[in-house]
Amino acid sequence: MTTRIQEVEDQTRELTVCLVGMPNSGKTTLMNAITGGNFKTANYPGVTVSLLRGKSKAEFGCTLNVVDLPGVHSPVAPSPEEELACRVIEGNHERVRPDAFVLVVDATQLERHLKFAGFVAKQGKAVVVALTMMDLLRQSDQSVDVEKLARALGVPVVPVDPRTGGGVPELVKTVHAFADAPPIGSALARLPDEPVSAFKLIRELLQRSHAVRRAGRLSVGMDSPTARIDRIVLHRYWGFPVFFVVLISLFAAIFWAAQPFMDLIDAGFSDAGDLLLRVLPDSVISRFLAQGIVGGIGAVAVFFPQIMILFFLMTLLEDSGYLARGATLVDRPLSYLGLHGRSFVPMLSGFACAIPAVLAARAIPARRERLLTIWIIPLMSCSARLPVYALLLSALLPAGSAWKQGLSLAAIYVGSLLIASLTAGLASRLVFDYRKPSLLAMELPVYRSPRWKPILRMTWARGSSYLRRAGVPIMTVSACLWLLSNFAFSSQSIVTPAKMETSVAAQLGHKMEPALRPMGVDWRVGVGLISAFAAREVFVSSMAIVFHVDGDDDQTAQAGLLEQMRTATFPGTSQLIFTPSSIFGLIVFFFFSLQCFSTVAVVRRETNSWRLAGLQLAFYTGVGYILAVASVQILRALGVA
Amino acid sequence: MKVENDSHFHLETESAPARSLSEVPLNRWWRIERLEGPHEECNRLLDLGFTPGEEVIVTHAAPLGDPLVIRVRGALLALRKREAAWIFVE
Repeated sequence: MTTRIQEVEDQTRELTVCLVGMPNSGKTTLMNAITGGNFKTANYPGVTVSLLRGKSKAEFGCTLNVVDLPGVHSPVAPSPEEELACRVIEGNHERVRPDAFVLVVDATQLERHLKFAGFVAKQGKAVVVALTMMDLLRQSDQSVDVEKLARALGVPVVPVDPRTGGGVPELVKTVHAFADAPPIGSALARLPDEPVSAFKLIRELLQRSHAVRRAGRLSVGMDSPTARIDRIVLHRYWGFPVFFVVLISLFAAIFWAAQPFMDLIDAGFSDAGDLLLRVLPDSVISRFLAQGIVGGIGAVAVFFPQIMILFFLMTLLEDSGYLARGATLVDRPLSYLGLHGRSFVPMLSGFACAIPAVLAARAIPARRERLLTIWIIPLMSCSARLPVYALLLSALLPAGSAWKQGLSLAAIYVGSLLIASLTAGLASRLVFDYRKPSLLAMELPVYRSPRWKPILRMTWARGSSYLRRAGVPIMTVSACLWLLSNFAFSSQSIVTPAKMETSVAAQLGHKMEPALRPMGVDWRVGVGLISAFAAREVFVSSMAIVFHVDGDDDQTAQAGLLEQMRTATFPGTSQLIFTPSSIFGLIVFFFFSLQCFSTVAVVRRETNSWRLAGLQLAFYTGVGYILAVASVQILRALGVA
Repeated sequence: MKVENDSHFHLETESAPARSLSEVPLNRWWRIERLEGPHEECNRLLDLGFTPGEEVIVTHAAPLGDPLVIRVRGALLALRKREAAWIFVE
């Protein structure tokens, strides 16, 4: 009777299996093969690192809950990602409790990967080794005998090819069969912690069992495609030109390729808003829905194409193996600034959006370098600033001089990189002890041709996670701002609908006026600056609201706004607001200030405290204000209007 | 372990004194003699596979001369010169 119940339980109980292994062992590809791509990123409280979670495909018979843990280089001195993985492996994580581990082991680097495997096998949970990269063995003149290896290690070994899905059904079955058989007493679990003797034992195990056969050592990998590509990519003269070509193509794709999609989404949302206004009876509620809610969703969605292209190309570069080479190339200049080779990916992403950039900083192992990277990310000229700069530059420079505007924009981008470098260099010397950098020790994976399906799935998983994360705060703030600028406190202290001039936002703007006058602008620009905290590009649309621009399509709205800005004067006087000096001051302000609540929220989550996030907000916004006032006053003193 | 010492470059290593991996010529095999540097960092290097007795080769230097790309136990790892200087080879 009891055995029957036991059996039923065994069939219904779903095992939680964690994929563990060193970086580049093919874990995420295996995750794809096991789950059929049906996984999503899941965020866990505490240490906020995304884990991939999914269920194994039904056709494999038994269902497994599969969790893909971040790759671990070594349990010694880990990065936050590695720390999380180690916590799960050691059974100290409160939410993820694995029943078994699938150890993903690169067959071409058995010794290094088995050293880590020893750490996992010691935890008293069932372990199945999934041997990947078998197809690369021939390239490095080696061969591995799977049965002998399994016997030598004392744990089941299943060769898999995650790229084709070969061996995956066997892997799932093996995991199920061995789930209750932890490898206690096996050779793998008996490996010592101390690395020198552990590596010695592993080599003895492999040699004694004849599990691995090698042709000569000297030929290993010297003439492989990877070595040939590296000779160009890491070449003394060609290395940097290749790197810059890759970077420029990346930027071109992010900005030009995304443009048509962004225009489409932008137009779509403003059409949807107009439609709502026409269909619904005119009331406060319909205007709130059309302008506050639909407009808010539009403000987020318009960046979706850029973010997706960024994630897609980053995943592609990462997957092909080039990203690690790029990080190696720039490690020397970055470490001079107190940063790390791996800081390069967050900095690059920062030009699209600070939020994925801050998230990407997780891969930096040393805390100090990670914090410094996060510190300078808001200076990178993110794409939300682009519409603002476009508006201000066309107001500053006469029409018909497109090249001047382009040149100024390029100068702003290069300037943001230089200022960020300067900030990092100064901070690393003044605040941190830069003479004690962390270890680089970065693995350069073998180049592999890209696998489109997993890359697209990964892009989607990352992109939709971004939308959820950034979308909610941006929408909330934009809805609140709409309410603020459309309602007023009346005399009976009841909130009533109001025109812009008498709204709460305008009242706040008037209170701010003493601070705004030195910048050469009035309360209306102040309202724009405050609304930009939802997302910087909201500045443009709220300027259109406060300066009463009503146009049907975007083109006329932009032209109408420019026209209004050219003639706008301080109330009651004939003094122009938008003079070259005040526009320049606004550009300076946007260049420095951290006008983005989503970034502040993400930094708080990633650093687990308000300290860095609050300091960043106060420091950059303060510096932006001071420099904007200074530049306006200096320009005026020099005789520029 | 004994068997490995009988390869042909054994003669070469006999005469050469220990030098740090940061200053050896590229594309030649070296045997790690010892690690000498900060405790925590050296432990991590050991963990990555840089153990005494192991053979390594510096395959590339990045365009600015630093970091170095080193092959150890079938893996390519980028190490800064500063880190490679803790690894003494013969």
